[in-house]
Amino acid sequence: MTAQMKLGAFLWATGHHIAAWRHPKAHATAGIDIDHYVQLARTAERAKFDMIFCEDAAGLREANVGIASQTSRSIGFEPISLLSALAVQTSRIGLVSTASTSYNEPYGLARTFLSLDHLSGGRAGWNLVTSASPIEAANFGSTGLKPHADRYERAREFAEVVSGLWHGKAPGHDGQSFSVRDPLDLPRSPQGAPVMVQAGASDVGRDLAACTADVVFTAAQTFEEAKAFYDDLKGRMAAYGREPDDIKIMPGVSPVVAETEAEAREKHEELQELIPDDVGVALLSSYLSISDLWRYPIDGPLPELPESEGMKSRQALVVEQSRRDGLSIRQLARHFAGARGHWRIVGTAAQVADELQARFEGGAADGYNVMPSYFPGELNAFTALVVPELQRRGLFRREYEGRTLRDHLGLKRPV
Amino acid sequence: MHLAISLNIAAADKQAVLDFGEIKTFVRAAEAAGIDMVVISDSAEGLSSAPFEATTLLAALATVTDKIGLVAAASTVAHQPYNLARRFASLDIISHGRAGWHATMAQGSREAANFSRPEGFSDTDFRRRTAEYIDIVQGLCRGWDADALLFDKTGGRFHDPEKMHLLDHKGEFFSVRGPLNVARSPQDTPVLVLSGLSGPDLDIATRTADVILLEDGSTESAKIRFDDLKRRATAAGRDPDAVKILTNISFAPDDGPAATADRLETELRLKSCDGFNIQLTAHSALDDFADRVLPELRRRGLVREGYRGATLRSHLGLAGGGGQ
Ligand SMILES: Cc1cc2nc3c(=O)[nH]c(=O)nc-3n(C[C@H](O)[C@H](O)[C@H](O)COP(=O)(O)O)c2cc1C
Repeated sequence: MTAQMKLGAFLWATGHHIAAWRHPKAHATAGIDIDHYVQLARTAERAKFDMIFCEDAAGLREANVGIASQTSRSIGFEPISLLSALAVQTSRIGLVSTASTSYNEPYGLARTFLSLDHLSGGRAGWNLVTSASPIEAANFGSTGLKPHADRYERAREFAEVVSGLWHGKAPGHDGQSFSVRDPLDLPRSPQGAPVMVQAGASDVGRDLAACTADVVFTAAQTFEEAKAFYDDLKGRMAAYGREPDDIKIMPGVSPVVAETEAEAREKHEELQELIPDDVGVALLSSYLSISDLWRYPIDGPLPELPESEGMKSRQALVVEQSRRDGLSIRQLARHFAGARGHWRIVGTAAQVADELQARFEGGAADGYNVMPSYFPGELNAFTALVVPELQRRGLFRREYEGRTLRDHLGLKRPV
Repeated sequence: MHLAISLNIAAADKQAVLDFGEIKTFVRAAEAAGIDMVVISDSAEGLSSAPFEATTLLAALATVTDKIGLVAAASTVAHQPYNLARRFASLDIISHGRAGWHATMAQGSREAANFSRPEGFSDTDFRRRTAEYIDIVQGLCRGWDADALLFDKTGGRFHDPEKMHLLDHKGEFFSVRGPLNVARSPQDTPVLVLSGLSGPDLDIATRTADVILLEDGSTESAKIRFDDLKRRATAAGRDPDAVKILTNISFAPDDGPAATADRLETELRLKSCDGFNIQLTAHSALDDFADRVLPELRRRGLVREGYRGATLRSHLGLAGGGGQ
């Protein structure tokens, strides 16, 4: 049998496209409708996805209320309660939630995820994040966002304590950030320990992942970027005595798929049209680190931008390209707001499968975290069109091989 | 009378570990008996008798029940108030308005030792901190007006920015800007159940709690306590009936049904409580209570038949929430 890719269904609000909720077929009330999530989880499970994945932020995503109020991302379920509900409404699919090391304590987090693991019969995973937003920081004290290095130092100690607790050690831990006296009061995990996921891209982030993660999510637009990240991360693992196969690297991908390429393009264009101009321009402004873009005519070209610190080389390239192609501010704004830096594929099932296959077989991915542009439509389209195509090619399972998330991912069971 | 049943997952009846299926059966039986709510304990000394943490268990139980209120214990030392408010607002939405939070005013040594507070808090600090904590959670839960979400696809207005409110809390122990990133929940705020009260906690409890759990004592002292609490609630500007006082009583299978019913009736008629939180000495005792004691109480007109409303607040006869 050829190697098979891993697939995650990344469930986020009404969809990953910024204007998803405005789509006529999008379920706009997703954030207050538990039955909707049960349906999504069952759809992903019928398609034999390895896991569903929930992002998390302990605060609003967008500080500008005028902008935020035109998106659906300011409200939603708290993900651990959401996944606990889904745990008993599904039977096979993995359940992975994000949770912050900056605003939790390791004993509580280890205990909560272990409980989710027991509720689901060994299908839980934790996506470790250090939380980079000052909006979140303001909900946990008055001292503001801690520096990157401090956050990662705390995260490293946090991960160590959680892992020790899951492995049934009596910690007696008295460290720089945490002190923990007792072992957990819950029995061991049905899968040995819940799965550890990470998505940090910085140098320290990659090192922490190489040392502790079972799964790594990333954002990569091009094959070269994805490949470079893949090789770099797998290369770091030997230093921690781990095999490259001990981590599954799953880049995010946002496909827009239809029976024909023309239909897929039309579907994508329909979503792009729904991006309110001020939302698009605000997101483009923050991406380009300029504050007064709204002053310029929206159907005109980008103004001359000062050479700024915020202007990274890739952004400079995009600006250059927009000049070359004569894109207006509106067109450029829609381009950024829609894709959010993630990999987007617009096309038929065969075209999408070709691209996924190329990165998988080219050694740039062990699988993908699928980010449907709106729910439930694009998750349904992916499971109806792309999954069968991948199965025909022998690239994805037709049946679950095991019971636990570790089984699905082909991860070793910790002793 | 109002009736709650304790679901003591932390060291229940010292039998084998309970799995989810057994707990589901237990809670559904309580629901079939028309009990107002189950109160799920959390955190055990030594190995727990069920492999679950209370809030995650509550979420799962919410999907397999329809009517019964579900209350989970959650420690103010184990959670940050912003995180706890999100969890319970979310649970209230998942359960369609049946969630409650059980907080205790008594400091547990286990939490302090495992949550990086080895020195714990002084009693007065813990009291002021808990009061501040409760105000934050309740404030956050009211941060979105009930009609804030518009879902206006053509107009591009998902919510009304005027109807989302910052908390901007800056206090002695916490600083929390808000708002919550969870919508207004069906009950506005989850039902707050408080226990572990000592004298200086009473004003905090009568100002903030929806339900107060008290230990069983003599009927006379319970009567004095009850009157005192209702007086304090009135002094805090609340309807005295907006705070329900439940007495913890234990029930064993071999307790006679008529004698038990007599005892509950006496306490209720003397107005020494609004109801009871039944602590079963074994899970199997639920059947005895439901099949033998409850019919007797119903015959005497002391317990309502079935559920009248859909939310826990409506079961308890409390105001708040649009889902009644
Ligand atoms: C697929 C994916 C999902 C992510 N989800 C979250 C999230 O839910 N919450 C969060 O705070 N950060 C999230 N991130 C961001 C990263 O986990 C990480 O915090 C960020 O890249 C900063 O870390 P770094 O400085 O090491 O790059 C996500 C990233 C990716 C690629």
